[in-house]
Amino acid sequence: MVLALGGLAVLALWGLDAVRIQPNRIVSGTGHGLIEALGTGPALLVMLPLALVMALAWRPTRGREALMLMLVTAMLAAMPWALSLFIGQFIDDPGGAARAAVSGASWLVGFALILMLIDLRQRLQPGALVTLVLIAVSLGSLGVAFGRGALDSLALVQEYEVRRAAFAEAIVNHLILVGVAVGASLVLALGLALWMRRVAGVRQGVLGVLSFIQTIPSLALFGLLLAPLAWLASRFPLLSDLGIQGIGWAPALLALVGYSLLPMTRNTFIALDGVDPDVIEAARGMGLAPLQVFFQVRLPLALPLLIEGIRITTVQAIGLAAVAALIGAGGLGTFIFQGLGQAAMNLVMLGALPIVLMAMLVDALLKALADAARRGDADDRTG
Amino acid sequence: MRPDAGTPMIELDNVSKSFGDAVAVDGISLNVPAGSLCVLVGTSGCGKSTTLRMINRLIEHTGGEIRIDGHQIRRFNEVTLRRRIGYAIQNTGLFPHWTVARNIGVVPRLLKWDKARTRERVESLMALLGLDVEAFAGKYPHQLSGGQAQRVGVARALAADPDILLMDEPFGALDPITRSSLQAELLRIQSRIRKTIVFVTHDMDEALRLADQIVVMQAGRIIQQGTPSEILAHPSDDFVETLVGGRDRGLKRASLTPVGEMMESLPDDGRVPAVHVLQTDSMRLAVSLMLWHGVSQLAVVDDTGETVGMLPLRRLVDDFGE
Repeated sequence: MVLALGGLAVLALWGLDAVRIQPNRIVSGTGHGLIEALGTGPALLVMLPLALVMALAWRPTRGREALMLMLVTAMLAAMPWALSLFIGQFIDDPGGAARAAVSGASWLVGFALILMLIDLRQRLQPGALVTLVLIAVSLGSLGVAFGRGALDSLALVQEYEVRRAAFAEAIVNHLILVGVAVGASLVLALGLALWMRRVAGVRQGVLGVLSFIQTIPSLALFGLLLAPLAWLASRFPLLSDLGIQGIGWAPALLALVGYSLLPMTRNTFIALDGVDPDVIEAARGMGLAPLQVFFQVRLPLALPLLIEGIRITTVQAIGLAAVAALIGAGGLGTFIFQGLGQAAMNLVMLGALPIVLMAMLVDALLKALADAARRGDADDRTG
Repeated sequence: MRPDAGTPMIELDNVSKSFGDAVAVDGISLNVPAGSLCVLVGTSGCGKSTTLRMINRLIEHTGGEIRIDGHQIRRFNEVTLRRRIGYAIQNTGLFPHWTVARNIGVVPRLLKWDKARTRERVESLMALLGLDVEAFAGKYPHQLSGGQAQRVGVARALAADPDILLMDEPFGALDPITRSSLQAELLRIQSRIRKTIVFVTHDMDEALRLADQIVVMQAGRIIQQGTPSEILAHPSDDFVETLVGGRDRGLKRASLTPVGEMMESLPDDGRVPAVHVLQTDSMRLAVSLMLWHGVSQLAVVDDTGETVGMLPLRRLVDDFGE
C-alpha cells in the first residue's frame, strides 16, 4: 500500500505539473513541473524522502513502520512550505494579480501522503495521543504557513481572502443545515422505527415510501417543494414571517430530511430489532419495566449500529447540502456554483475542499464513537 | 416469609392459554409445595415453557387461576411479581454490555438496595456458585465459557433471594459433562437454600435426576405427574414409557436408587467380598462393578471405609424388579 502510494507520488512529481501560474483570476495560465523548474538534480533531491519511505516499505518491520510514520508526517508538514518556495520561483509580488493554482502533482502527493498516514496508523495502532500529535503537526504546519502569509500567492487563498466573512458564514450555514437535518431525521427515524416494530404491517410501506423519496433527483425534489411551500407561505403569513418560502432554507431542510430518512430509519430499525430476543426476554423476566428494558438494555445494545446509521446519513447530508445552495439555502455549495458560473476553478475548490474535509472528519469521529459504544461501559464494574 | 414445607407455594388451577384459535396449554392443574423442585418435561411444543412463563406473567394465562402463596398472580403488578421470582433461561440471556457483577446485581438494583448490600450479595452468590470474585466480577459475558455464563445466570436469578425460581432449560445448551456438573451443583445449592423451583426440560434423565416431582406434558395437557420412581415404575402410557427410556429404564431406576437401600447384612461366616462399593453410590454403579469384575456380590462400605453390609446379585433380581 505505502509502496504503491509512494510510486504514485513519484510518478506524479515526475510527469505532472505541480502548480499552474495564472496572470489573473480567470486565465488558466501555464503549468510548471518540478523537473522543468528545478532541473533534474534538485528535483531528485526533493523526491529523496519519498524514495526513503518506499525503501523502508520494501521489508516493513514495526520499527521501520514507526520511522515511515514520522517521515510521512514530516513530509506532510513540509508540503505547504515547499509549495510556497516553489511558487516563489515564479511570482515575485505576492498580493498582485498573478496567482498560483495548486495542480495535479501537488494534489496527488498530498493525497498520497494522507493515505499513507492513514494506512500506517492503522497498522501501528498508536494511542489516541500519538494520533492527535500527528494531526496537530501536519495541520499546525499548514496553519502557521497560512498565518504567516507564505501561501498568499495561492489562488485558493486569494479567493478566500476576499470572502473571509462569507466563508465563515457559509461553513456555519452548512453545519447548521446538516445538523438540523440529521437531528430532525434521527428523531423522526426513531419514531418510525418504533412504529415499524410495533405494527408489523407498516414496515414495508414505510421503507417503500422512503426508498421512493431517495430515488428523486435532488434538484427535482427542490423543484417539487417550491410550489407547495410558496403556496403555504402566501396562504399563511405567519409561515412567511418565519422565513418559510418556496426557496431558501425551508425547502432545503425538508429535502435533506427526506433524503436522510431512509438510511436513518433503516439503520435504526435494524439496530433496535436486531437485539438478541433472549436478552430482552431475560430483562422482562428479571422485572425491568418496559421503559427500563428499552433504555437500559435495548437502546445501549443497539447503539453501535444506530451511530453507524447516523454516520452514513451525516456524510451523505454534508454532500447533499452543497446542492441546496442552488435554491438559496447558503452553505459551502454557494462557492461551488459561483465558481462554476465564473469559470473560476479555485473558487469551486474553496467550496469543495471544506466539504470533503468535513465529511472525512465526521466519518472518523462517528466511527470512533461507534467503536467506543461497541466496547461497552467498561468503567462500570461494581453493580 | 417462607411457608412450611408441604403447603403449596405455586398452584395452577385448570389453567389454559390460547393464542387465537390455537390452544397451547389446555386446562392443567398442578401444585408445587414450598421448597420442592418440580420438573416439567415433554417434547418441544408441548406447552411446558408456556406454562413456566405464565407463572411470572411473561405470558398471560387465558383461563383458570394461578396462585402464588395463596394469592392470585393477577392481583400483583407484573413487574413487582417478576422481581420476586428468580428467572433463568437457556442461552443465559445475560446482558452483554454489563459485567458479571452488574448482571448478577440487576434485581437488587431494581429493588433499590444500597450499593454495599448489593455488592455483598453479589459476592456471596458468586462464592456459592463457585465463581471467583476477583477473576470474574469485572468480566463481560462474552469472556465466559458456557458453563460459567450459566452459573452467572443462576446467580442472577437468585440475587434478590426470591422464594421461587423458574428455570427454562437452563442447562440445555451445555455439553454433557458441564451439564452434569451443573445439575449436581443445583442439587447441592437446593439442599442448602430450599427454594420452590419449577424447572423445564426436554431431557427425562435430567428430570429424573433433579426432580422431587415430575410433570409430564404432551400437547398442552399433563399426562402424568409423580415422583421420579413412580414415573419410572408406572408410566401411564406408551409416550411416557418411551420418555423414560422403554426397556432401558431398569438401569435408569437403578441409577436413582442408592446401594444403601438395597444392601443386606454381612453373612455370619464373616467372609467379605473383595470388590466394594460406597453405600451412597447408585445401584447402577453396583451392577457395572459386578459386570466389570465378574463377581456376583459386593462389599458395601460407608464413606470412612468401614464395611457396613453386602450386596448380592440375587437382590437385584428378587427385590429390585417390578
